[in-house]
Amino acid sequence: MNYADSVTDRFAGQVKIVSEHRQVLETQFARILSEYGAAISRLAFSYEAVASVREELVQEIALAIWQALAHFRGDCSERTFVYRIAHNRGLTHVGRRRPLHQPLEELEESEQPVDPRPHLEEQVARTDQRAQLMSAIQCLPVTHRQMIVLALEGLSHTEIAEVMGITENNVAVRLTRIRKALKDALGGRT
Amino acid sequence: MTKTNDREFDTWREQWSSVADPPGEFQRKVQQRIKRQERRFVLGNILTAILFLGMLIFAWFMRHQSTWMGPGWATGIWVLVLVAAGCRVWVLRQTWRPQTQSTRSFVELWHKRVTARLRLLQISIYLSLGWIISCAVLTAANWRTIGQDVKVHPTEWVVVLVLCVLMQYPLLWYGVGWLRHRKLAELNEVEKILGEMQD
Repeated sequence: MNYADSVTDRFAGQVKIVSEHRQVLETQFARILSEYGAAISRLAFSYEAVASVREELVQEIALAIWQALAHFRGDCSERTFVYRIAHNRGLTHVGRRRPLHQPLEELEESEQPVDPRPHLEEQVARTDQRAQLMSAIQCLPVTHRQMIVLALEGLSHTEIAEVMGITENNVAVRLTRIRKALKDALGGRT
Repeated sequence: MTKTNDREFDTWREQWSSVADPPGEFQRKVQQRIKRQERRFVLGNILTAILFLGMLIFAWFMRHQSTWMGPGWATGIWVLVLVAAGCRVWVLRQTWRPQTQSTRSFVELWHKRVTARLRLLQISIYLSLGWIISCAVLTAANWRTIGQDVKVHPTEWVVVLVLCVLMQYPLLWYGVGWLRHRKLAELNEVEKILGEMQD
């Protein structure tokens, strides 16, 4: 085998490794999207009230996850990794364009999934309560919004502390305060 | 694991969970966007290479111009190409991705970056002012030589003046001013978020 053949073989080997690595990443990415897609979508709700812009934000979050995936070394759990990226991307969105705090009646109801319950009145009431909760969350200061969203997504205090970079005690104290603020904003309607 | 199990929070959680599902074509749209971004990246690199090459060829021809300004233009373009190439390599290098860090680290780094960018803009304003002054001083000091060239090739000097004085500087300053305004607004937001975090 001459030198040129050896170089060609080595190059072909490198290409194969890169392509295999990409396939692994693509599979992992598809799994992450199907597993956390709904959560990312909900999270985007807390940062953006306008549906078209929100869809854009969801895609940007997914893109950011894809870009960071190759560098993920398992220093934290995959869930923490995804939520960190999603929230940090949301923060950048807020920093560059302050969200429009739309009045309740302007929230697009057509965007809400239909609740498969038989009674129309009950369904309307539930949609209304959901819209009120969303509106109240969107009116919270951005870091409070982050924390309550993570708690609503079912993350433990340890995981929230990992995502936010604060202590667990701090998380507990702040969550109590945020819940009180949220309750006041909702006026005890839930 | 600390969990809150009171009814109120559970109701909120239930309402929250039913808020939204990603659109049906979400995954396909994201894949399309990734492909589009990758294509744009490759196309951008090809276009940049063509542009750099074109500028270098242009500079090479300018160098052989008979006028006094030819070598000056050529040197300017070569320096510009080198600086632009350096900037592109710097931007494209694999940097640490702050988005994967905790919110606190991310916001602190974001604050540092915005402050640094504002400082850089301030420095660039002073540098451009210094550049104008030094050009004026050099022109005045060498007026005997330059003046003769101006008399021989007045049109080319007018072109240079129009390009540099009337177009380049107002445009550059407008651009810097606009960027500074944006960065100041961003700094304001970041400081607000930092303040919220420290509360």
